[in-house]
Amino acid sequence: MNENEQNKSGPETLFADWMKTSTAFWESMASTWPAFNKAGGVTPDSKRDDKTSRFQKSWESTQKTWTAWSQIITEPETMETLFKETGMLPEIFLKIAQTGLNSFVHLQQQWLERAGKVQESTKSYTFENFDEDALKVWTKLYETELRKIFNIPQLGLTRFYQEKMIRSVDKFNMFQSNLTEFLRLLSLPMEKSFQVLQEKLVALADEGNLPKDSKVYYQMWIKILEGNYMTLLQSSEYTKILNKTLHSMSEFSEAKKDLLQDTLLYTLPIPTQKEMDELYKEIYLLKKRIKELENRS
Amino acid sequence: MAQPKISVDLILSKLAEEAEKAGESAQKASDVLLESLETKIAVTPYDVVYEEDRVKLKHYKPTVEIQLKRPLLIVYALINRETMLDLQPGRSVVQNFLQEGIDVYMIDWGYPARKDKYLTIDDHVNGYMDNIVDFILDKHNLDKIHLMGICMGGTFCVIYSALHPEKIKNMVTTVTPTNFDTNQGLLHIWMKDMDVDRIVDTYGNIPGDIMNMGFLLLNPARLMIDKYVGFIENMANKKFVENFVRMEKWIFDSPDVPGETFRQFVRDCYQKNLLIQSKMEVGGKRVDLKKITMPLLNYYGKYDHLVPPEACELLTGKVGSKDTEDICLDTGHIGIYVSSKYQKEFVPRIARWLKKRDEDKKKCGAKKATAKKRVAKKTPKKTAALKTKKKK
Repeated sequence: MNENEQNKSGPETLFADWMKTSTAFWESMASTWPAFNKAGGVTPDSKRDDKTSRFQKSWESTQKTWTAWSQIITEPETMETLFKETGMLPEIFLKIAQTGLNSFVHLQQQWLERAGKVQESTKSYTFENFDEDALKVWTKLYETELRKIFNIPQLGLTRFYQEKMIRSVDKFNMFQSNLTEFLRLLSLPMEKSFQVLQEKLVALADEGNLPKDSKVYYQMWIKILEGNYMTLLQSSEYTKILNKTLHSMSEFSEAKKDLLQDTLLYTLPIPTQKEMDELYKEIYLLKKRIKELENRS
Repeated sequence: MAQPKISVDLILSKLAEEAEKAGESAQKASDVLLESLETKIAVTPYDVVYEEDRVKLKHYKPTVEIQLKRPLLIVYALINRETMLDLQPGRSVVQNFLQEGIDVYMIDWGYPARKDKYLTIDDHVNGYMDNIVDFILDKHNLDKIHLMGICMGGTFCVIYSALHPEKIKNMVTTVTPTNFDTNQGLLHIWMKDMDVDRIVDTYGNIPGDIMNMGFLLLNPARLMIDKYVGFIENMANKKFVENFVRMEKWIFDSPDVPGETFRQFVRDCYQKNLLIQSKMEVGGKRVDLKKITMPLLNYYGKYDHLVPPEACELLTGKVGSKDTEDICLDTGHIGIYVSSKYQKEFVPRIARWLKKRDEDKKKCGAKKATAKKRVAKKTPKKTAALKTKKKK
């Protein structure tokens, strides 16, 4: 095989040949359209003719663009430049990858800084009371750092729905966090009552006065438990956490209602609670007015 | 050989004995639970004589000849149901009143629905209650009736009697909160900081289950543990099981509370304590306690954890009436009505008090008696004094 023949069978020649063949194929396909239309047996008053011709026109236009583009691209000069540039591709890809990696590293740095802040905000907790401190840390972490993610502005047509969904998730998280704290508080008297009971039993055992009846043990325990609960339930800490839990429960309930009413229920052919409430209010006020008028007459 | 400090052998033998007993008891309990139990509540016969929206007026069928000229209207709270006053034959406040020859009417507030969330205290007191009183007055061709309130229903009676004193002959308040500035009861402590607007705006009506959860948390050890331990211990006793189930049926039959009524009750009463200061406004009118000039009998429980004595005992000193009496019983919020001990005493005493004051001419005698009791009320050992009286 001589040098010319070798050149002719190179990748650019193969590519040019493939371009030519595919162009020829689509040209022949396009030429079958008029024949297909004629054989279709379309009635004169049907509008199918128009539709077909519109489609055909669009096809012809695309074909012309393709032919023009393939002619340009298959010119030997263009092919040569193209295949030379191919050698530079790894360099271009590397640049893109570098930019992406830099952004990623920057994002990670931001997260690390945030994590540093988390450490700062949790510094005051000694974790002596692991359950209490862990809960407080989680709540604080959520409120100060993680919650920011939910505040990222939503965009586009479905913005309102996304916002409602995100709000409801956020309020649920807050409610769960407060509820867990509330339940933890309620479990404390139980834990403490067993400790106190054990101490009492040790003292009684030392004195040799250990009760023989199991009911006495139960009575001792329930009395201690009742006392512990009374102390807790009267404390300002309990009232504070109770109110916090009730508040977050209300907020979650409202967010959930908003989400269901304004997104899901809105699409169904049934009235929403909001609409019914408006109606009830009108009936209530009307009834009051009627009573007033009746009393006057 | 020296005696061991802990008599392990005795403890173990006692345990074995108890285990054997528990086995026998479990067998009997299964028999009891599987056979048919009589657990119906509110079985005393009555007619519904008036209805307005969800509210009904029950008129109980007399069992003996009526001895009072005027009927007695009982107003229950919006929390839980009036069926507590008629738990079972032989343990029924209603039945006891009927046996005393008193014509009894009782308001059934029904189950508030979403549409009732706008109803205020004004709608309940100047609306439903006033319409019901007018209905009874018309039916009996009378100018006044006797009024008795239970808990929040008592507070409604106090408000009603201050706004419509011309329609009430005598008033009996039982476990009725009127002074809310106290730290004796947990409810009073919790309600002070409650964001009531937030809760009402969210729920509309306050769900009965949330209210019940709050009540259980008043004493979790007793109400959530000890009570059911007691049930397990007594499961072999059919009567006990029947009574227990009746009580459970009543306790957890909790209608929702209309939102606006709850909002005003918490804000004006629990948080601002306006009622006892005669500063509360209902339906645009000030509730002036001095306008309560009819005789007043005020019952409350020494161990009431919901409405402690401090929440009840100021009322008699604030009203305009000179014929007032405080009675503090050694029991809790519900014990006044359902404990077998007070079943024998509570209603007969009210009946005697009402009979004395049913006719106008007996008013002077009552005043004298009251003057003495008011002196007794000011002594620090009032409760003890009353207890001694009862024992005698």
